[in-house]
Amino acid sequence: MKSIFLSGAVIALLVFSGCSKEPIVDESASQPQGVTQPAVDTETVSSDIATMSDENAMGSDTNEMKMAKLEKEMATIYFDFDKFVIRADMQDKVSSDAKLANGAASDFTIKLEGNCDEWGSDEYNFALGLKRANTTKEALVAEGVPVNRISMVSYGETNPTCTDKTQACWSQNRRVDFKLLP
Amino acid sequence: MKVFFSLLLFISILFANDATIEVIKKVESLPSIALEDASLSYDSTFKLTFFKTLAADLNVLSLFNVDRHYNQTDFDDRVVVANKDMNYVLRYKLSEGDNNALNVEIKLINNEKNVLLKKYKINSKNIYVFVAHTIAYDINEFMGAPSVEWMKKRVLFSRVVKSKKSEIVIADYTLAYQHVILKGGLNLFPKWANKNQTAFYYTSLSGKKPLLKYLDTSTGKSKSILSSDGMMVCSDVSADDKMLLLTMAPEGQPDVYLYNVATKQYKRVTTYGGIDVNGQFIDNNTIAFISNRLGYPNVFSQKIGSSSVEQMVYYGKSNSACSARGEYIVYKSRESSNAFSDNTFNLHLISTKTDFIRRLTATGVNEFPRFSKDGDAILFVKNYQSQSSLGIIRLNHNKNYLFPLKIGKIQSIDW
Repeated sequence: MKSIFLSGAVIALLVFSGCSKEPIVDESASQPQGVTQPAVDTETVSSDIATMSDENAMGSDTNEMKMAKLEKEMATIYFDFDKFVIRADMQDKVSSDAKLANGAASDFTIKLEGNCDEWGSDEYNFALGLKRANTTKEALVAEGVPVNRISMVSYGETNPTCTDKTQACWSQNRRVDFKLLP
Repeated sequence: MKVFFSLLLFISILFANDATIEVIKKVESLPSIALEDASLSYDSTFKLTFFKTLAADLNVLSLFNVDRHYNQTDFDDRVVVANKDMNYVLRYKLSEGDNNALNVEIKLINNEKNVLLKKYKINSKNIYVFVAHTIAYDINEFMGAPSVEWMKKRVLFSRVVKSKKSEIVIADYTLAYQHVILKGGLNLFPKWANKNQTAFYYTSLSGKKPLLKYLDTSTGKSKSILSSDGMMVCSDVSADDKMLLLTMAPEGQPDVYLYNVATKQYKRVTTYGGIDVNGQFIDNNTIAFISNRLGYPNVFSQKIGSSSVEQMVYYGKSNSACSARGEYIVYKSRESSNAFSDNTFNLHLISTKTDFIRRLTATGVNEFPRFSKDGDAILFVKNYQSQSSLGIIRLNHNKNYLFPLKIGKIQSIDW
């Protein structure tokens, strides 16, 4: 320990010098942007969404309006804390959603979006959101909606409709939303 | 008497390296160290910031009692009078080089002798924190203490900026330095793809299906790896970077899958009809994961290719996240179950070889436990009384360090 360590050579911290050269990748843009460009605050859509937008553009405006109207008519299903079974008071909503899915919305694919409250920020919470979507899917299938028309995604706690720290707010975030795809 | 001492010695050796055993009090006192600033360039604000960062890093080493007084001197002068009684003095000189490069020269003085001399150079003073971390790392090496390689590593995290919008950020271990590497859309669960931290995996939720992507940080180019209906997360990368543990739900059923990076083939590891997530490599043949097969989330292990599952934790009724490194598993446990008020989440450490449990935190919401690659430290996020902090637990020193966060809500973190 007492020996003298002499390091005459300059130690270049190559790994860390690289930090400032790392690019900012904006998934909204088609090409990655360099770090020299300022971060863009303007919101744009991601490439995936852009593709979807292109597809949508090929359809008629009427179709989009119809989808938006039907999405509003479809009832959100709410769940209890840490649970993914459909509550008794939500059963009628599932039935009305199934009727709509097999009626006016029968031309569209249904995307079920599972969501959770903020009590859990890990994979388990995402899985809980998915199980909520899956339970809703099974209930829809039981009411006659074709299984191949339903897709699912979980957003965990990243898509809250309410951000207050109250019981009422948390209960609004434990839900499955309905989206329609062409 | 001989038998007694032999027994004592045996027990000491038996538990010497068990991280689940908590060191209550160390008998020896730590040597003192003071810092002396001999900088030639930069304003007083930057000089003071550098001093505070370096002092904080030395403190995290847990090798010294770090003196918090700021002293200035010339690089080749004798130790300042106020520091005469210090065991060690770390003197450093900051100077601005060509193209705004930051040059740092240090000398470690012990008993009026220079015992360590080193020079550092980086291309921008904006990333000065990494120089401070490297200086602390080098001093730790010089003192012959167990490696703190993690101090030089970069932290990768995602944060939600608003509903369905997130950013992925590269930072140092204190989050003082932050660089947004990915923005736009909803990109979550970033995971370093290799030990050199030149690329990472992440989940994109911007398309029709959850998609696992890979981003090279030097070129900024990303590529798609695999998609799954419902859920897709890269939970762990094997020590040789060749295998991934993924959580996927192709049939709406979240399970752990093993993915081969070279062949692009994957196989299902867990088959339970409930929730199986958060796979972690214990070794090449065994994984730890979170499952609700007992009706609540808990930590289990399973040999890859075998259907038999072993319960790892018998404490707590909601253990919803874990990180594994070798024989040790750190897990997050909910200690209250209340839908109507704040809940407490604590971190606990277990060993696969003993029955001991060590509680690592006591208050607040403690989450995202992540082992360093060498297992020396655990990184985590603590939320307590409206304040969020990044925490470092040094297992063998029984010390926790908290760095206040001012960046919004972290969604996931890796280092």
